[in-house]
Amino acid sequence: MMILLLVLPLAGALLMLLWPRIAPLLALFSAAACSLIALQLLLQVSEQGTGYWLLAGWPSGLAIAWQADTLSCLLILLTAVLQLLVGFYAFAIRTRDKLSQGFWPLSSLLQLSLTALWLSRDLFNLYVCLELLALVAVALVSLSGRKAIKPALNYLLLSLFGSLCYLLGVVLLYGAYGRLDIAGLASEWQPNLLTNSALLLMSLGLMLKAALWPLHGWLPAAHAAAPAPVSALLSALVVKGPLFILCLLWLQLASSQQAQAMAPLFAGAGLAALLFGGWSALRTPFAKNLVAYSTVAQLGYATVALGLMLKFDQPLIFAALWLFVLAHALAKAACFLAIGEMSGTLGGKRLTTLKGASQTMPLAMFAFAVAGGSLIGLPPSGGFLAKWALLQGLWSQDQQLFWPLALVLATLLSAAYVFRVVVLAFDRADPVAPDFSPQVLPQWLALLPALAVWAMALFSEPLLLLLRLEAL
Amino acid sequence: MSPFWLSYLPLAIILSSLLPGLIIFTLKEHQVKLRIALNLLGVTVKLVLVLIMWQAVKAGAIFYFRVPFLPGADLILQGDALSLLFVVLSSVLWLATTIYAIGYLENSPLRSRFFGYFSLCVSATVGLALSGNLVSFLLFYELLTLATFPLVVHRGTPEALAAGRRYLAYTLSGGLLLLTGVALLHSLVQSPQFIPGGYVSAVVREHSGLLQLAFGLMIAGLGVKAALLPLHGWLPQAMVAPAPVSALLHAVAVVKAGAFGIIRLVYDVFGVDSMQQLQLAEPLMLLAATTILYGSWRALAQQDIKKRLAYSTISQVSYITVGVAMLGPLAAVGGLVHLVHQGVMKITLFFCAGNYAETLGVHKIRELNGAGRRMPLTSAAFTLGALGMIGIPPTAGFISKWYLGLGAVATDNSMMLLVFVFSGLLNAAYFLPIVYRLWFLPQRSSWPKEQRLSATLETHWMLLLPMLFTALLIILMGLFASTGVSPLSWTQLIVEREFSYD
Repeated sequence: MMILLLVLPLAGALLMLLWPRIAPLLALFSAAACSLIALQLLLQVSEQGTGYWLLAGWPSGLAIAWQADTLSCLLILLTAVLQLLVGFYAFAIRTRDKLSQGFWPLSSLLQLSLTALWLSRDLFNLYVCLELLALVAVALVSLSGRKAIKPALNYLLLSLFGSLCYLLGVVLLYGAYGRLDIAGLASEWQPNLLTNSALLLMSLGLMLKAALWPLHGWLPAAHAAAPAPVSALLSALVVKGPLFILCLLWLQLASSQQAQAMAPLFAGAGLAALLFGGWSALRTPFAKNLVAYSTVAQLGYATVALGLMLKFDQPLIFAALWLFVLAHALAKAACFLAIGEMSGTLGGKRLTTLKGASQTMPLAMFAFAVAGGSLIGLPPSGGFLAKWALLQGLWSQDQQLFWPLALVLATLLSAAYVFRVVVLAFDRADPVAPDFSPQVLPQWLALLPALAVWAMALFSEPLLLLLRLEAL
Repeated sequence: MSPFWLSYLPLAIILSSLLPGLIIFTLKEHQVKLRIALNLLGVTVKLVLVLIMWQAVKAGAIFYFRVPFLPGADLILQGDALSLLFVVLSSVLWLATTIYAIGYLENSPLRSRFFGYFSLCVSATVGLALSGNLVSFLLFYELLTLATFPLVVHRGTPEALAAGRRYLAYTLSGGLLLLTGVALLHSLVQSPQFIPGGYVSAVVREHSGLLQLAFGLMIAGLGVKAALLPLHGWLPQAMVAPAPVSALLHAVAVVKAGAFGIIRLVYDVFGVDSMQQLQLAEPLMLLAATTILYGSWRALAQQDIKKRLAYSTISQVSYITVGVAMLGPLAAVGGLVHLVHQGVMKITLFFCAGNYAETLGVHKIRELNGAGRRMPLTSAAFTLGALGMIGIPPTAGFISKWYLGLGAVATDNSMMLLVFVFSGLLNAAYFLPIVYRLWFLPQRSSWPKEQRLSATLETHWMLLLPMLFTALLIILMGLFASTGVSPLSWTQLIVEREFSYD
């Protein structure tokens, strides 16, 4: 059954190329089917424990091996559902914003590469997924046409450089150990100069791809240049792929000394991302850039959590890390769709176009504000859950005062940039009139993930439990 | 009435304003009748439900409704005597303010949005009153911030937006401090439901430093809404909001949310014994006393009616905190009853200020000369409110100050007695000149922007009726303080239950 999760998008993408006319239908169908299967898989795995599959019956070591634990299943489900939602959105606005036909097969391939990435536990397979993911993402960015060429090219070059770094690290490890599956490598792992450099090289590449501070420079331009549905997918899902691999590397491969040595670096980089990303979001004059910088900042939470997890080895912090990822994915999808909808209808890229949007487009603005509430971490949203888990994890270590304080500061920054938009929307002095009457359905579609991230509160206990178990 | 139905009562009380609010958002601007009907339906249902709960709680019942949320911290709604005090206050005043707001906003734009958020605010306030542990309290505390912000910026002018930004900066930072404090406390003792006597006593010896830190963080977070010095800066600015908003939210809901949180924190989280062991009450009391004097002092210098009332609010809300922080039963009665009395008196004063502004276009105090002849009912209500604030018998304000004074003597805080006397004098100094201008000075020039809102009455009946209702309450609560239905007797019941937990 799990194989369907990969076959459906792949076959779908091929069919879409053959019959471009029914491409949207195919894409929606495959995403819907995948969501159902992913849900089924999640239930199955949380009941029966982690599942392992070897492709085509080859023996372990030779075959492509998949491993579905609860975290992977959650991420697969998230991917499929967001794919479905964004597909609906793209379909709903098809008459207004002519998306190129390429969007549908590419987005299916994006789903394929992400699903494969969440399932892989082998450094080379991960490399292949990563490469495919990057190429598809670059192609999606360039859908915007001429103005997106430069950021897309920039993204491509940096991404290739990142892949090369990662590949180099993989090669070093293969030369030394002759195997690349993570479980096997971990059992033979020696902390020495070679593994140190391999880890560092791979991390460098992955941090570049995940836009972790200070290697985030390409992200705002690329995400802001892409069409709204694409930016939603990029911010919500694509940057999380490399982050996932990074976690695998440091939590499962690295020895505890290596992890301890790296912990302050990750935590520091995360904090810097929170502060600088937040600050840039506060300064930028463009709406989509604001949301993109907020992605940089929010990835900072995940990086801080990774650093602290390496330092304290506390399952709650691990749960917090992935809660941040889940909550951010939903909230950011809502933000990008809402902002895309508003700038599309009000006609302008600048933040000042949103003046008076609370009157002209109340639903979209509401979606942005609700999603923003989760980015800030207001209870009882998903963002709050993550922050709560992080704080509890920190305080179960004794006398941690610096990190809570830093998180408070970062939260204030995110509140400042979210409300920068909201306050503008309440400006009644001279509201920007819409170019045409606002469409209702796309605005509802933007609101859906925002509501979903607040609904995470209803499942907080099972989520925390699942993710905590995953860390052990 | 089946017990099954009763367990949903706290939830139903919140939903009775939340659901109409959500429906109102979807209404068109011109669907005035439907909107009014929904509003009044919500109010009526809420009052009936509250009445049912009131009778049950009086007989000794406590209502619980819980949903699993965080490990060790469910979302709990709890209907006990203390929560009912605040629920009744906000529901009754919501009724008055709804009628007032309908009259006040007649023919102004964006009313659906206004009434939608207005209902959300009341739901958040009632939720806050009913919340049964710190995590639920935090949740409604933040919701209240979010729901009030659109009302502060409702007019959409640059001034309103600036006030809104400031309001958010203060309240979100406060919410964050509260969150940090709650999370810290949760890591020490989890978040069980509120219980008289508190639940921290087991770890007082072990973690006294962390407990003090958590208390400080939470007081700072609550102090923003309760306008404790130096966190009061948002309140005078937020007065740019329409009069009903200033009346209900800034005089009652938001500031009382902070004060109510302090009450819960002191009595039901830390408890009197732990407060004494940790030596937390003294600093809180001194801070509140300073706020009382500072607010009164600043009020003297204000020339704008609503600004003077705002500084007066800052001062008066701290009476509640002082009463709570003195940790004696009599002082507690004074503090708790002032929660109700101050709310009723201040809302009357704000209604009056709104009437002057709406009918005569008067915003400044010096323009009020001779307004008593043009608007006798409004001026009479204002006079009553002012006398109540000063604490002159037989108004409600006298009752609370009497008990606060008794409490100060009983807990050996004679210095507080001085504070009360001095602040009373200051109150008189900033309220009596207004009363004097209203009745005894001749009108200077024509009113800035006079409107004839009614053929026979001095202003629109919807603006008049709620004001007279609350003004009447001021007198009734004072005269009938010793009967079984007065706020005083209810607070005595609360204090009896809070102080007899052993």
